[in-house]
Amino acid sequence: MTSNNHSSDIPDQRPDSRTEPRRIRDFFTVPAPIKRVFDRFPLATYPSNELPHYSWPTRYRNRLFVFSDAAGARRGRPSFNPQCLKWQAYLKFVGIDFELVPSNNHASPSGVLPFLLPALPTGTSTPIPSGKLQKWAIEEVHCEEEQQLNLRFEVYSSLLDNRIRNAWLYNLYLNHENFEAVARRLYVDPSTTNPLVRSVLASQLQQAARDELLKTSSYIDASALEAEAAEALEALSTLLGDDIHFFNRPNPGLFDASVFAYTHLILDSKMDWKYNRLEQLLSQHENLVQHRERLLKFF
Amino acid sequence: MVLELHVWGPGFSLPSIDPQCLATIAYFSLLVPKDSWTLVASSDPTISPTQELPALKNGSTWVSRFRNIVDYLRQYSNGEWDLDRDLSALEKADNVAFSSFVEARAQALVDLSLYVTSQNYYNTTSPAYGAILQWPNQWILPPQLHAAAKARTESLGLSSLDLEAVQEQQKRDHSADVAAGRIPQNFIRRPRETVSSMLGKAPQQHQFRLEALTRELFEPLEDFLGDKTHMLSAKAPSSLDCLAIGYLSLALIPELPHTWLRDLMLRKAPRLSKYIERRRRELYGVVNVSDAFTNNGRSSLPWRAPERARLATIGSTLLNTLADSTPILKDIRMNNRLREAAKSSDSGLSEVESRTLSAYAGAQGRDTLISIATVVGGFAALVGYMVHVGVFSAPEGDGEEEQQGEEEEGVTALPESVDVSDFLGNVRVQS
Repeated sequence: MTSNNHSSDIPDQRPDSRTEPRRIRDFFTVPAPIKRVFDRFPLATYPSNELPHYSWPTRYRNRLFVFSDAAGARRGRPSFNPQCLKWQAYLKFVGIDFELVPSNNHASPSGVLPFLLPALPTGTSTPIPSGKLQKWAIEEVHCEEEQQLNLRFEVYSSLLDNRIRNAWLYNLYLNHENFEAVARRLYVDPSTTNPLVRSVLASQLQQAARDELLKTSSYIDASALEAEAAEALEALSTLLGDDIHFFNRPNPGLFDASVFAYTHLILDSKMDWKYNRLEQLLSQHENLVQHRERLLKFF
Repeated sequence: MVLELHVWGPGFSLPSIDPQCLATIAYFSLLVPKDSWTLVASSDPTISPTQELPALKNGSTWVSRFRNIVDYLRQYSNGEWDLDRDLSALEKADNVAFSSFVEARAQALVDLSLYVTSQNYYNTTSPAYGAILQWPNQWILPPQLHAAAKARTESLGLSSLDLEAVQEQQKRDHSADVAAGRIPQNFIRRPRETVSSMLGKAPQQHQFRLEALTRELFEPLEDFLGDKTHMLSAKAPSSLDCLAIGYLSLALIPELPHTWLRDLMLRKAPRLSKYIERRRRELYGVVNVSDAFTNNGRSSLPWRAPERARLATIGSTLLNTLADSTPILKDIRMNNRLREAAKSSDSGLSEVESRTLSAYAGAQGRDTLISIATVVGGFAALVGYMVHVGVFSAPEGDGEEEQQGEEEEGVTALPESVDVSDFLGNVRVQS
């Protein structure tokens, strides 16, 4: 109250200094009617959702995520994607127990399938991408690293990774009839029922295949792709010879799995190919056909 | 008839700057008598109908790519000009497998060394193209080849060699990754690196990656060559030798500012390096750029000077470049590249196959045409609608009138002037 006496020469200050903070407070406080509405919330509180769980016993098995349909995955049928089938077959051949989970590229941490969620050690959920699956399998079951055993392993693998893969890409995605009948059914239709999204997905798939082929050449020559695939199959057939498995090993291994991934899908009648030049080329090599039939017994 | 082999011109003292062309030249000089072929450094892929080099011209027939030219030579000479004639079945299989291996793996390394490594590209490769290309290709083709090489090697994850990519990435990483603590501070925080300091200190992980890539290529080849005088059999060279010489001489010979590939090759494959060096001297000699543009040079190769570019060629090059960078036209041209393959008579397809293929390419073309038609039709409909509503008939009207016109779509024609009370009155009557 003493200050009032001292500041009597500026009388207007007092009422101002009293109302200013009140106005600011008014400005920030919620008006009463709105506050009453918000006081009613929440109207009801539901119990929290349970953590997601799967109906099958997942905890103690390795899970391999592949392109597959639900029925095929349950029965462990071969995947319809060569990359996935290669690793699926390899893990089977070296005797690792796993179950299949149907999935797609968007689910993968690396953007490509397959990947594996190991059962052990429990608690960790670090996925293993396809590039590291072999190392993981070797640590798991102490199988051989086959690349070290024969210098031809890497060299002949390039036939599969380049020539046969290119012919496959052309055959599946760029051949119009096959794309409509096979690729659409396997890769596009399960993703969505929306026709607009389907057509966008389909054209993206085809464009990706076309870009991949145009990386190595300036135009896509279907006959050259098929001729190269024919040469590659002939070379693989010569390499196999009369042996049971590639490189005359007692058990099938990674190279057998890589070959099987393509030969099985080329010869599989369930794929329902409309135009299949690769099948004509492959069936000229009886030993490769028999090799595929022997390995199919694992499934 | 003299066979004309059209190739990319010489560079790095080799007769061509492109590995496939080098392989084809090696094949010809091993096999075909010198008076029955000429070598033309045309350096312009558009001269061949398939837009590719190397291309072999015999009269009106064009054949491109190494593998196709090898096949064509065998047919042309009734099996006489065939390096792989006497191979056993296993050798034939090895020939195919190693060829595919060399083409895939060595192409990636040559791409990395000559194109993706920025210092090499800007200081050596790009000027080498400048020396062999004519205007305006010297401004158009090298960037295209550069981009193609980058696209091919993208999946290898070795962008540290590419300074442009590094700088772009650095800018992006700087805020995000340093904040998240994912990359050590001292790795990113270097201000304004110079070219040489960056290449001198290529990140360790990429050094490992390069070591692994070169080991994967050179070790099998070094083991396979062993003490033999040729790659496959001791007796005679094969088409695999030609491919190996073509690709690996581009790894070994060029004098580059940043010689990581040559260093790794000499260290990992000394026998192979000696073999490549010896063979390329026998087959190519040392080539100057000027040899390719004079008719009677002292070179061991049958050079013939390429024709000067005519005005029409230059015009079509410019047009094509323009068309290739126009969105919709580009798609049409892409599909045509597929169709040409099917329609050319010597493509080796059976009747049914080529019909299917051209039907496919045709359908693709139709798709593009339909999308163009949709766009054009949609635009026409929009313009028609705007005329109908009166946007164009009252061009002096300001923006507000146009908006109100759109609000009253289909109810009445646009009034000459809109009064607020009229408008409210209308609303009241309607409600």
